[in-house]
Amino acid sequence: MPVPVVEFSDERLPNGLRLIVAEDHVAPVAAVHVWYNVGSKHEVPGKTGFAHLFEHVMFQGSANVGKSEHMALVQAAGGTLNGTTWLDRTNYFETMPSHHLELALWLEADRLGTLLDALSQENLDNQRDVVKNEKRWSYDNRPYGTWIHKLLGHAYPDWHPYHHPTIGSMEDLDAASLEDVRHFFETYYAPNNAVISVVGDCDHDQVRAWVDRYFGPIPANPDIPPLPDMSLPAVIGEEKRETVVDRVPLPRICFAFRAPAFGDPRLDALDLATQLLSGGKSSRLHRRLVRDERIAQDVMIGTLPAVGGASVILGYATVRPGVDPAVVESAYLEELAKLAAEAPSEDEMGRARALTEADELGALSRVEERAERLSMYATLFNDPGMVNTILARYLAVTAEQIREIAQAVFRADNRVVLTYLPTAIGAEALEGGTGDGVGPESTVDAADEAPVAADVADVAETDDEGEADA
Amino acid sequence: MSPRAGMINQRPVPGEPRPYEFPTTIRATLPNGLRVIVTPMAGRQLIAASLAIRSGAADEPAEIGGATVLAARGLTEGTEVRDAIALTEAFERLGASMHAEAGWDAISAGLDVPASRLEPALELLAEVVRRPSFPESEVERLRDERLNDLIQAKADPRRRADDAFVSSIYAPSSPYRRPAGGSPETVARLTSADLRTIHAAAYGPGTAALLVAGDVDPDAVIAMASRLFGDWTGGRAAVTGPDATSAVDARFVRVVDRPGAVQSEIRIGHPGLARRHPDYHAVSVMSMILGGLFNSRLMSNLREAKGYTYGAYAGFDLRRSAGPFSARAAVNTEVTVPSIGEFLIELERIREAPPTEAELQAARNYLVGVFPLRFETPGPVAGWLGGLFIHDLPDDEPLHYRSAIEAVTADDVLRVAREHVHPERCAIVLVGDHEKFGADLEAASIAPVDVVADEPEAPVGVA
Repeated sequence: MPVPVVEFSDERLPNGLRLIVAEDHVAPVAAVHVWYNVGSKHEVPGKTGFAHLFEHVMFQGSANVGKSEHMALVQAAGGTLNGTTWLDRTNYFETMPSHHLELALWLEADRLGTLLDALSQENLDNQRDVVKNEKRWSYDNRPYGTWIHKLLGHAYPDWHPYHHPTIGSMEDLDAASLEDVRHFFETYYAPNNAVISVVGDCDHDQVRAWVDRYFGPIPANPDIPPLPDMSLPAVIGEEKRETVVDRVPLPRICFAFRAPAFGDPRLDALDLATQLLSGGKSSRLHRRLVRDERIAQDVMIGTLPAVGGASVILGYATVRPGVDPAVVESAYLEELAKLAAEAPSEDEMGRARALTEADELGALSRVEERAERLSMYATLFNDPGMVNTILARYLAVTAEQIREIAQAVFRADNRVVLTYLPTAIGAEALEGGTGDGVGPESTVDAADEAPVAADVADVAETDDEGEADA
Repeated sequence: MSPRAGMINQRPVPGEPRPYEFPTTIRATLPNGLRVIVTPMAGRQLIAASLAIRSGAADEPAEIGGATVLAARGLTEGTEVRDAIALTEAFERLGASMHAEAGWDAISAGLDVPASRLEPALELLAEVVRRPSFPESEVERLRDERLNDLIQAKADPRRRADDAFVSSIYAPSSPYRRPAGGSPETVARLTSADLRTIHAAAYGPGTAALLVAGDVDPDAVIAMASRLFGDWTGGRAAVTGPDATSAVDARFVRVVDRPGAVQSEIRIGHPGLARRHPDYHAVSVMSMILGGLFNSRLMSNLREAKGYTYGAYAGFDLRRSAGPFSARAAVNTEVTVPSIGEFLIELERIREAPPTEAELQAARNYLVGVFPLRFETPGPVAGWLGGLFIHDLPDDEPLHYRSAIEAVTADDVLRVAREHVHPERCAIVLVGDHEKFGADLEAASIAPVDVVADEPEAPVGVA
């Protein structure tokens, strides 16, 4: 069952803007995905959360577009849109009825060309309040809401750009100034730091003409500062443990391991491993912890791909009432160790491959997903053609490669163990001393902790406006 | 600063719209009453197939509340011929992702599968729907998982607010007062016998439709359906119009106190209207203007003007009977009371005057324009047609939807707002730190306030 090949063009404007176009006339729909090569990894200490706050400012108007009018115009054209910020990049996208495609291109160009014309303290203050409420809603006021931020904080050293959460801290958000916005915009929001993909019911030559017309006058920034070296040792070097006593109903044990960077084929193998471990009723962690031993309410494991030095693989198990969290931790880690000791069977591999293939078929049937992938692979790997080769890479992963990467990653000196305990039992458990791990243990009562929350939980990225629901 | 040289300040005008037609659907009815609804979509190799049954949690006896949802989950826990693991592995070998769930109005079991493996996947689907075994031990596990999930729901401010809201707006006689998946009292008693009872009563061809969309040959699909479901019997439980009696006679405030919460979850509303109500299209436009579009009145006010929230929305949950109408947001604790004030202003304002022409155009154009985007892939096509079947709506609704939306006038919006939005008699449910806003709330004299303590977390150590 072959996944259809995505045919695309790939060119650059004189100002450096990379344009990728893939025509597909099946439905009268076209998607635009603009990726800027700037993410929270570009933030410096004291300015965390800024890339994402800036993303909000991008919806506050430009020379020819009023505050929030970007959304209004796209939706009134029958389109959908959003913007997201993550460690490695920021993206903005619209899916339009195809006869409104030009509008989306013009809107994207107007804010890239003239954002500062409309910038005001009032709008910045307003979006700062919105983002602080986003942080409260997504992370601080949610059970276990801080888990991914805490895991990333342990898996990456203090100096590393992935150490701090994309949502940032309240203090840093408070400190963000108009001057910061101007500087950030002038530094990173330049055509030579962007990729724009257009996929769907469109004509290549027409799209190129529109992009020349609207984006062509915007000058490049020849002085985009390079990132510092982000390379890291393959393993963390010690086990790190933290216990959080919080208003959670059931204990939950969360795990993280440092993993190969996004783009490394060994991460493909690890991705496939997550399917074997928690991808359905017959997966190893689910089967043992949830079904057979019935010690966990739920389990998961997944990778957070990142290009700078190392990714992480992280997961959790929620402990059933009455069960000792230590038992759940041992069982979870034993299943990881088994994968490191013995290659999975061909039957397991075959099922994982069949599901991966079907998922890819489904994902690539949407123009928006194709546009996103083209922009992602171009931005992160300078290779949009990965849209057509990534599946083959997954399908080529062998059972032994999975065992090898499991062995390399699932090590005691490469893991973070984060335990959430309900307030009711937390104090007692800590007095009794559950801190029997081999690594340094820190204990934090979430109530006293500075609100350094932020979670990338459900979606692994900090979303801006969700789609309107009726 | 002057606009950058060379930038084009003229907004583009739209091109010529390319006509869009909802894909043509082929329908058949098997002799046993099963409807087969096939939508060929050329080039869509991942097929969506699902069996929709017109019977849901609203139809189950109150004393086994939660049995319908649990039975749907139990479908994939084993059949007369395979246990859960063998079943899952069989689906996986086909590259098929299987799902089964139930809601208030319907049960749905379906899968996405590559076209070349549709037939064996449908065989498995038939096995799951027709011959589930509901093993005692697996049902106990599912039941315990549901009970634990209810504990989690209590600790999550959003779910807590949703649950407190519905229990505030519906009378005790209404099933909508509780979660569709059941409350702890009834779920704790559920057994596999209850699940079998639901299966025997509700699962049958007379109230079911098989929906298939994607790159398929309709005749072949109908032949598969005949082979796999032609001798299916049973079911046909009477479908009720669930009791949706309102408990809201006047405006009142209910606070679920959560000391230390950094935000207040707000829900404001009352029972709304049923999916089959003739005002459906006008209400869709009205709720877009009030709290659906990004630039809706609620978003423009509470987010973009005031910065009180990440998002403020309003909408109707359209069910067989009157599901809830709610306006909702999570706001900074300090602005809890001012936020309620702004919500009430907007709920009044939508009833006072017709929307502007620009608002009306934006809402209609969005709903009409987004229609082809919604149906780009097979899953949403099958899903929407399944919804029409469940609510016994006309087969040609997809052909008329856009013209019905286009026909909604400003006066229609005003009329349906007056008829279906009632800020003068609504529940205002808050989950937040009462100590921080309690005095302001009293001083604001919005309505009588009743405060309930958030119950402590479930005892740990008790299974």
